[in-house]
Amino acid sequence: MILEFMRDDHRACDHLYTEAENALSANDIEKAKELFTLFYDATNHHFDMEERELFITFEKRTGMMGGPTQMMRYEHQQLRSLLESMKSALAESRDDDFFGIGESMMIMLQQHNMKEEQMLYPMIDRTLGDDGELMIQTLKDMTR
Amino acid sequence: MYNGLSLDQAPPISVVMRFFLMVPLFGIALSLLVFLNPEAVLTPNHPISLTAIHLMFLGIISMSMLGALFQMQSVLGGRPIQEPLGNAFIIHIFFVIGILSLAEAFITPLPELFVIASVFLGASVLYTANLILPLLFGSITNDTLRGMRIALVSLSVTAILGVIMASEYANESFSTFHEVIRISHYSLGLIGWVAILIIAVAFQVVEMFYVTTPYSLWCKRNAFRVIVGSLFFKIIWLFLSLPFVWIFDLMIGALLFGFIATTLKRLHQRKRRVRDVSIWFWNAGIALLSIATISYAIFIGSANESLQTMALISFAFFALAIILAMMGKIVPFLVWFHLNSAGYMDVPIMSNIIPLHRVKWLFWLFALTLVMALGGIFFIPLFAVSAILGGLMFSLLLFNLVQALRMYRYVRIHGKRLIQG
Repeated sequence: MILEFMRDDHRACDHLYTEAENALSANDIEKAKELFTLFYDATNHHFDMEERELFITFEKRTGMMGGPTQMMRYEHQQLRSLLESMKSALAESRDDDFFGIGESMMIMLQQHNMKEEQMLYPMIDRTLGDDGELMIQTLKDMTR
Repeated sequence: MYNGLSLDQAPPISVVMRFFLMVPLFGIALSLLVFLNPEAVLTPNHPISLTAIHLMFLGIISMSMLGALFQMQSVLGGRPIQEPLGNAFIIHIFFVIGILSLAEAFITPLPELFVIASVFLGASVLYTANLILPLLFGSITNDTLRGMRIALVSLSVTAILGVIMASEYANESFSTFHEVIRISHYSLGLIGWVAILIIAVAFQVVEMFYVTTPYSLWCKRNAFRVIVGSLFFKIIWLFLSLPFVWIFDLMIGALLFGFIATTLKRLHQRKRRVRDVSIWFWNAGIALLSIATISYAIFIGSANESLQTMALISFAFFALAIILAMMGKIVPFLVWFHLNSAGYMDVPIMSNIIPLHRVKWLFWLFALTLVMALGGIFFIPLFAVSAILGGLMFSLLLFNLVQALRMYRYVRIHGKRLIQG
């Protein structure tokens, strides 16, 4: 339940990033900036959904405060820092830097998503049980 | 249980790099052997040919795959390898000594070398399986992990069969089962170990690196079942001397074609369209797997030895292409990741660690080496030319790896990245 919802959001973010990257490859700078902003916002919103609702609920229910959710938060920090670097590179027309940092970001993001999809979300689904639907509604109601 | 989400799960960079650094060194040794003995290398079952085959499949392909396993198991398996530095050191040293002994054993009149090779290679492979296999049976499971398990079991059985054959060579006394053991040994090594591990990795990384649609669940679930079933029955058929063993080869071939078609489709329809030489390597690798499969299928019907040689060379280059594609991503990422995670602010970005022009050169040298090697099957002087080009390719690979490590060390020592002039 949570797994499917969050996995779909991961895929949506991936799609936005590839569109931004492809636009920059095609030298369509304005479109690249617009698409990257969408990706940047969507990814940060995804992290916010996890940190402000999902992880907190999971931690309250399991009592697991310094466990996997803490590790995911740390990775969010690393990814946010990469997103900021990419944003600067794009704004300053340092295209090669954008692609170079993007490569690291993409591998790290994919590994991060994989860990969440294969380990953390199934754990959260088991913990929330029938309350999963309510959680999804809460996450949907969060504004960007 | 939750170690898979730990940040310190990644093994130290030296664990992986010690395996990767041996790849170009064995590649240069192989190139030298081929350059000096092109005709002997192309003669099936010639001692020099056996040396070349083992340098390729152990020194280059398996060496890099073991290094990659140390990294992948931590990320995919969710449970880190205990004492990675010490364990990698032991496995690496034993593996290198074993390969060198085996390579020498075929071409020198010293049967003791087969014993040394058996001890070191057998020990390193079984130690690796004993170390990593239990970690792949944790709370998480997916098709890539299933593939890794099968590949490690296949490698272990391949090693055991290799030890049996080495003892026969050492004693110069061959049992009636020698030929059956030999076929089982290379079938398990090439398909059970190399092909299965590459397929398992493809299931994960093609989607991840290039943002493609995932492989179908049917494909993921049944690919390994078909290969394992076919290999199992092929070996039973061989030992019982039953007819129509080739049916199992054709089944494996059909499955490989399914993998080829579905992978090509995904690579072609990938969402990421940025310039990326690793895509060239993947496409080349998939094309080579097609050539290997078709050549072997025709060989089964015609018994033409040139086709068998073409199948083997194409298969080796298929594996090498995928390895080079993966190394081109893994090495810069590891350098960046380990520095970034250690808290250094001024670290080189991936595209500066191995610059694009050097990766392109590596690809073109790979392509030229391949063309000359395949042409060399029919016109031997070309095979010697392929050795020169191969030597250049592996030298460039060595340079790329050393430069990447140099950048890593520079940041560790000076706290900032090395500015290239």
